[in-house]
Amino acid sequence: MMKIFGATLVVAALLAAGGAQAQKKTLVIGMGSADAGKLDPHVASTTPDKGLLQYIFNGLVRIKPGQISPDTIEPDLAESWTSNPTGTEWTFHIRQGVQCHWGYGEFTAEDAAYSIKRAANKNTSSYSNDFSSIASADPLDKYTLKITLKNPVAGFLGYVANINGGNMVCKKAAEEMGDGFSKKPIGTGPFMFAEYQPQQYVRLTANKQYFRGAPMLDEIMYRYIPSDSSRDLAFQSGELDMIYGKQDQSWVDRTKQLEGVKVLAMEPGELSTLFLNITVKPLDDIRVREAIAYAIDRKSIVGFKGAGSSREAVSVVPSGYLGTDEHAPLFPYDPAKTKALLTEAGYPDGITVKTVHTTLTGMETFIEAIQAQLKKVGVNLDIQLVEHATYHAQIRKDLSPLVHYQAARFPVADVYLTQFYDSASIVGTPKAVTNFSHCNVADDEIRAARVEPDPVKQKELWKTAQEKIIKAVCGIPVYEQLQLWAWKDNLDLGYDLKGSLNLAPPVTEKTHFLN
Amino acid sequence: MTAFLIRRIAFAFVTLFAVLTLVFVIVRILPGDPAQIILGDQASREAIEAMHIRLGLDQPIALQYASFLSNALRGDWGISMVTGRPVLAEVLNVLPWTIELTLVSLAMGIAIGVPLGVWAAVRRNRLVDYIVRIASLAGLSFPAFVSAIILLFLFAIELRWFPVISAHKGSVQAWTQSITLPAVSLGLNSAAYITRVTRSAMLEVLSEDYVRTARAKGVPQRIVVWRHALRNALIPIITVAGLYLSTLIGNSVLTEIVFSRPGLGKLIVGALNQRDYTMLEGMMVIYTLAVVVGNLLSDLAYGFVDPRVKLA
Repeated sequence: MMKIFGATLVVAALLAAGGAQAQKKTLVIGMGSADAGKLDPHVASTTPDKGLLQYIFNGLVRIKPGQISPDTIEPDLAESWTSNPTGTEWTFHIRQGVQCHWGYGEFTAEDAAYSIKRAANKNTSSYSNDFSSIASADPLDKYTLKITLKNPVAGFLGYVANINGGNMVCKKAAEEMGDGFSKKPIGTGPFMFAEYQPQQYVRLTANKQYFRGAPMLDEIMYRYIPSDSSRDLAFQSGELDMIYGKQDQSWVDRTKQLEGVKVLAMEPGELSTLFLNITVKPLDDIRVREAIAYAIDRKSIVGFKGAGSSREAVSVVPSGYLGTDEHAPLFPYDPAKTKALLTEAGYPDGITVKTVHTTLTGMETFIEAIQAQLKKVGVNLDIQLVEHATYHAQIRKDLSPLVHYQAARFPVADVYLTQFYDSASIVGTPKAVTNFSHCNVADDEIRAARVEPDPVKQKELWKTAQEKIIKAVCGIPVYEQLQLWAWKDNLDLGYDLKGSLNLAPPVTEKTHFLN
Repeated sequence: MTAFLIRRIAFAFVTLFAVLTLVFVIVRILPGDPAQIILGDQASREAIEAMHIRLGLDQPIALQYASFLSNALRGDWGISMVTGRPVLAEVLNVLPWTIELTLVSLAMGIAIGVPLGVWAAVRRNRLVDYIVRIASLAGLSFPAFVSAIILLFLFAIELRWFPVISAHKGSVQAWTQSITLPAVSLGLNSAAYITRVTRSAMLEVLSEDYVRTARAKGVPQRIVVWRHALRNALIPIITVAGLYLSTLIGNSVLTEIVFSRPGLGKLIVGALNQRDYTMLEGMMVIYTLAVVVGNLLSDLAYGFVDPRVKLA
């Protein structure tokens, strides 16, 4: 069958080439969602929206295209920057002559200051927490921005990089449009928002005035195609040049068989963790939590999920983040210990633990595999399946003693540790984020590391925090799921793609089709 | 006739009001928080509460209901909580796509279903009848999303006659190309349904005395079947087609997703997943209207095809 496929593809490709000799200038991307959400970079939180907005916006600095490590941070809208020794005062020198899209004027330090204040405002931003340490952001002159922090912030440059709240919006456009900004987002990036057709596509057009040079592509068509199969078929028929894959190994194996196609399992990995609520019975007993940790076989989960698209967890923070302990003392798989510990804790006949879980396919198959592993050692996992929005609401109300959560964050250990393990983030509290376990064992280290100016000491603190959290079994990290993408090999991205914090491959001024 | 219309319209209003109230209550009982969905999973509780205030979700529920009703009466359906775009505009954007697909597939269903049903009834218990009965049963039981994928695989990938992304406008050719596969996929299902109803309605009529009389006096078979029998069998067929119009609109969601077409089905599933209260409420008005209007139209059609039916 595949051969027939291949032959059909070749014929079609020849026909297409014969029909259109001119170089292809439009990149058509197929995204796995039904429609666009809110196209405002300071609000957008989903893969489809972030993936699109990265083509429109810049940060003051950027992570090198195709990379995810903060070590690769390089100039973007700011040509250079300096900070005082404690890292509480930052001065950015804005590139001169950068133009906002559609004639909204030059991007200056005033726009940068406005943008940061907008991202820090809880009424206009999903990421206001990230900027809570900012005391002030003011233009010193047209091209100089000064940011003062209340305290040093670990990996501060990451917050003004080209993701989430670090995306720079143009003040005039944002003020003029107010809530309407998401209908016509205006930035400074290589592509400009041109058209939105509901449930069909967003069309972006090349920003000929882009400060790194006019893009080689003329257009990006960002198509919304929620059905995995339809996306695959449209990719095969040549209607799409790049697609968001179905997030499982069988898709990788199948798609790799196609001719003229590149498939990549891209960073960042989303870490799947089982959070145990340490305040409810029987999980309040450390022996019970240890028993569960010993019962999880990470290796067989990765075997189940597929080695080409997933990998074992290394710590309670995903691997590769600044400060991750790549050899953290995770519990080994040792089911004999589970039984002993359960007996010792007074549960010789086993226990039942409830989890409220989403019906999202990839996550559901995972929790079923975990259920099977736990069952072998007498832990009965009672899975209550609910639809995704219900799941998000209920786990935030402490209704699920065991919470399975899958997430990637900005790759600095502080972010993951703060959101999932700092007691200030416990669900139900005013500053709540996603601390489902009610963990509070590493608060001192997490908070000290956050403001520690010496990078060596900072890493030590993070390492201790991870050890303490693992030891207290607030969370059991299991595996990391990579982002699966495929594109036609006649597309030259113009950089080396390893990953993208915006969760879709970047398209730069250098991206183009080979003939 | 006028009295009938007035009664029906008044009844429609009552239905609409009941549905609106029910929807308002149900979407708010559902767990899940639109503010959380808009802001994403890294948002703090403070940011979420600020969003509640902006969306008016901090108001007492009775007040929310009152303002919702008064706005709805004035034709103001509000702004989508998730996308910030006006509900009415979002609905009107995709409505033509749904209407177009529904009408073409219904036409296809009638064009295939009525002749097949008549044919099977005339050849009752013979080979043709068995084949038609089995085929229509298969057509009914076959899930639309499976037939859709098979159609795409055959005609868009292997034969390359049609595009996979079936949402093109502009030239007549582009339109025909992009509506054909989705309409066939949806039309086959309604054809199967209409075939079965036509067959049984025809069987009943064909056993009537007047049909035997017509045959006895030597009226040709063609005229007996198509003029005498079918006209009398039309009432149940119209009822079913009218009811099916509203199911078609509902069924179209899978077709829209597989063929990557915009439409009401996708809009309502998206709104439900995202707890977009305002959008859901607006959509419910549309669906209720569709059902009410569909029924009204088939009632009016009775009088048209059968002069004995008086609408009073």
